[in-house]
Amino acid sequence: MSEERFVSRGFVGKRRAGEKKDRIPPGQYLTNDFPVLSAGPTPRIPLDKWTFAIEGLVKEKVSWTWQEFLQLPMQTYVVDISCVTKWTHLDMKWEGVSLDTLLEHAELDRNSMFVTAYSDGGYTTNMPLTDIINGQSFIALKYDDKPLAPEHGGPARMVVPHLYFWKSAKWVRGIRLMEKDQRGFWENLGYHNRGDPWKEQRYWND
Amino acid sequence: MKQTLNWQLASIKNVKPETANVKSFTLTLPAWMRHRAGQHYDIRLTAEDGYQAQRSYSIASEPEREGEVDITVERIGDGEVSTYVHDVLVPGDRIEVRGPIGGYFVWEASMDEPLLLIAGGSGVVPLMSMIRHRAAAGAKNPASLLYSSRNFEDIIYSSELEALINANSGLQIFHTLTRSQPPGWKGYARRIDQSMLTEVAQPLGRSVQVYVCGPTLLVESVANGLVKIGISSNQIRTERFGPTGG
Amino acid sequence: MEETTDINRELMLDANATAGLLYEIFGAEMTASPTECAHCGNEGELGALLAFTQGPGIVLRCSTCENVVLRIVRTEEAIYLDARGAVYLRLSR
Repeated sequence: MSEERFVSRGFVGKRRAGEKKDRIPPGQYLTNDFPVLSAGPTPRIPLDKWTFAIEGLVKEKVSWTWQEFLQLPMQTYVVDISCVTKWTHLDMKWEGVSLDTLLEHAELDRNSMFVTAYSDGGYTTNMPLTDIINGQSFIALKYDDKPLAPEHGGPARMVVPHLYFWKSAKWVRGIRLMEKDQRGFWENLGYHNRGDPWKEQRYWND
Repeated sequence: MKQTLNWQLASIKNVKPETANVKSFTLTLPAWMRHRAGQHYDIRLTAEDGYQAQRSYSIASEPEREGEVDITVERIGDGEVSTYVHDVLVPGDRIEVRGPIGGYFVWEASMDEPLLLIAGGSGVVPLMSMIRHRAAAGAKNPASLLYSSRNFEDIIYSSELEALINANSGLQIFHTLTRSQPPGWKGYARRIDQSMLTEVAQPLGRSVQVYVCGPTLLVESVANGLVKIGISSNQIRTERFGPTGG
Repeated sequence: MEETTDINRELMLDANATAGLLYEIFGAEMTASPTECAHCGNEGELGALLAFTQGPGIVLRCSTCENVVLRIVRTEEAIYLDARGAVYLRLSR
């Protein structure tokens, strides 16, 4: 049996000490990479079949085709991203459509309190509606001035920078408004329901 | 009684450079257990502050060698474990390991069907364990290795493989070099494709057992190619190494 | 036999790569153990499942239909396992 904690001589790992310590949430390390982390193979949907929808507890389901989506006002976002696997990448530059812009087109029911974002390939993630409005989230079409690569969620992914990156659903196809919170793919297997990196809300019971 | 699989402290006994980016490490193990060819060990590194990194490395040596195992590791430029293993570890150092593990990608000399081993880059490592085991056990089943490397200098175990052919053990080796070939090169000189697979597999017959190991994309395209030439998928075992091969 | 570049696919492994973790969970070598996909009925060894290991958890998928067979999350205190995608798992006695 190995000792309580054997330390490997001279091993430090790939983490970089941050000059920007105050911008890195607890337990995270700084990276300039954009790691590819997935739960499944890259979905490939032809753009002429792609749609984005807002449905569930809304007066009427609203949806956009790719061409229609491209007509929506886009903004540039430069945000810090933290993944629960411990990497943080500062100042990531995205271009996309704010969820506020999209929600303007739907009439929400009074009881629409929670959101489930759903994606090609079956991934889902959930959060309170209050976490995606007021400029807090967007549907990204571009990263670093280039169309979003398929392995990073392209053609479109949700980005919710103030929560751990598993909440930023890749290959997103819509959001469902709900009265009751429904745990998504990782939230129902040990991952924290909300996921605030500054409170280090990684797992259940955190 | 169920065996437990615990972390143990292995010692580095020897370090042998194989190619410019590849080294083999001989580990002595306090709780050595005879492995099966194709299995691997998990390696765990721990930093002072408790940060840990873990990787799996295939065993390169034959099960017949008692008390120690060889692992062969390719140094990947931005890989935090392989760079540590290459740049820091010297004989006398210790490293936490767990194993041997893996029951799916294994071959035993008692399996007497013809054997086809297909390797891409450092994917040759677990297949080398099978080849060494076959030699140590004196197995006589027809066996071929199809080994894809970028350049001649990247071929791992090249002199040992040469010696095995010459020892007339019924092992055939086919090399393919995909980037550049030395003058007078007589082997294949392209990525593995269906006609190459046909040429190599056909002599081994319909009951051939195939093991494919290497980068994920190579493994997938080879496995698909084998099915297309009529080898059924339950005759094919794969080990995908990920993008870099190790 | 063209290869499309897709780093996500390149990072995909066989479940054989998760043999150590499966051993931790089940206390036994599992990769040679049979299982049946609850989605499409495909039967095979656990080691042949497609493994996605880079994310917050490990996802093992059926090599035929690519639906989820097993999901594993490791937190500081616990291991969570979702085996609903498998009709059964088999442990030797």
